[in-house]
Amino acid sequence: MTLKETFLTPLFKGNPITVLVLGICSSLAVTVTLKGALVMALSVTVVTGLSNLVLSLLRKGIPNRVRIIVQLVVVALLVILVDQILKSIEVTFPIDKQLSVYIGLIITNCIVMGRIEAFALGNKPIPSLIDGLANGLGYGMILIVVAFFRELFGSGTLFGLQVMPAGYVTNNLVILPPFALILIGCIIWIHRSADKSLQEK
Amino acid sequence: MNTNGNIYTIVYTTLIVVVVAGILAAAATFLKPSQQANIKAETISQMLQAAQFETAGLSNASKLDKYAEEIECAFVIDASGAKVRDLSVSRDNIQLIDNLKAQNYAIAGKGGYETGLPVYILKNGVTIIPCYGAGLWGPVWGYLAIEPDGCTIKGAYFDHESETAGLGSRIKDDPAFRTQFCGKKIAWGQKPSFEIIKGGAPEGQENAIDAITGATMTSRGLDAAINTWLAAYEPYFTAVKTTEEE
Repeated sequence: MTLKETFLTPLFKGNPITVLVLGICSSLAVTVTLKGALVMALSVTVVTGLSNLVLSLLRKGIPNRVRIIVQLVVVALLVILVDQILKSIEVTFPIDKQLSVYIGLIITNCIVMGRIEAFALGNKPIPSLIDGLANGLGYGMILIVVAFFRELFGSGTLFGLQVMPAGYVTNNLVILPPFALILIGCIIWIHRSADKSLQEK
Repeated sequence: MNTNGNIYTIVYTTLIVVVVAGILAAAATFLKPSQQANIKAETISQMLQAAQFETAGLSNASKLDKYAEEIECAFVIDASGAKVRDLSVSRDNIQLIDNLKAQNYAIAGKGGYETGLPVYILKNGVTIIPCYGAGLWGPVWGYLAIEPDGCTIKGAYFDHESETAGLGSRIKDDPAFRTQFCGKKIAWGQKPSFEIIKGGAPEGQENAIDAITGATMTSRGLDAAINTWLAAYEPYFTAVKTTEEE
């Protein structure tokens, strides 16, 4: 696979949310506002990218019996670092607070461990980094689309700015997680109709 | 090299864990000052918002400026309402008591009053006091701004750690909820001295507001937090009132 393919596959044909159906829990939880979704998308991209890079560098020395534990330690390190950094920057501090436990829960995001096991342990560092970043972006892309609709109809705002006309009655269903599942279902439907190769016979 | 041997595995995992722990310790030490600055600015901003000052969109530095400009004095009191010590209010050394959890334990009788309860008095005579308690999923806390008469509420601001988005989170997100507090009166001496009533506060009751529909547990938690803390502050406000009447 060329580097270009490594980068483009996770964005569309192998999108972690719409095709692999990974990382669904957090995409329901953090898509109430666009700001939150954007910070989450960036955080996951950094974590998937760097964890793939680090574990690809370590891949030849990791004792096979404790493979998963070593992966977890590296992922946990990166997630804690991301969380601490978000807390220390003035602009991201309130968003980190709003995302609360979900930043910490990136550790349990199946995309991170999935890409390490499936890609980083068998490939060179540079392709692994690209694969990790692309998977994070593929995840983030869906997050932002979902958050766009949820914030627009749920709060009548975009990035916290009022866009719906005054007097718009906010839709509580859109704010609650089940609606995110409905939206993701619609995105999967559109993706599969557009790309016939994804359809099961 | 055999990467599956016992010795190799033990040495390898030990090294990884030590390195990771080192990185984390360094990061925590390095980032702590800026994290604490953020928390301080946020606390200040919430107190100012309780006292009806607009702080949305201000940078951390301007929040501190605004506080230094409006504050008259700050101090901590003990269980009998007597002043224990002053808190600095100078711009470069603003002291806050923001570990409300510890104070909450003290009020509940689980620890001493060593740290004391904070009282912040603004130049316009408004007194700001905090409250803290358990919501549905995690802690809820906030600030009440009380007029110079010692019983009328000028405003309030609440925050929470993990209340349900769109329901319990409205204690923070819905301005209509906290606006209800403005102009209400605390009934000192009564139990409870303030009420958040499910189904709506009866018309004419001056110490009650409406609970949030769909967030019964959060409303109850906030009601309990407010009343517990008001009870702890009652000796102080009673003393202030008596002094004024003399």
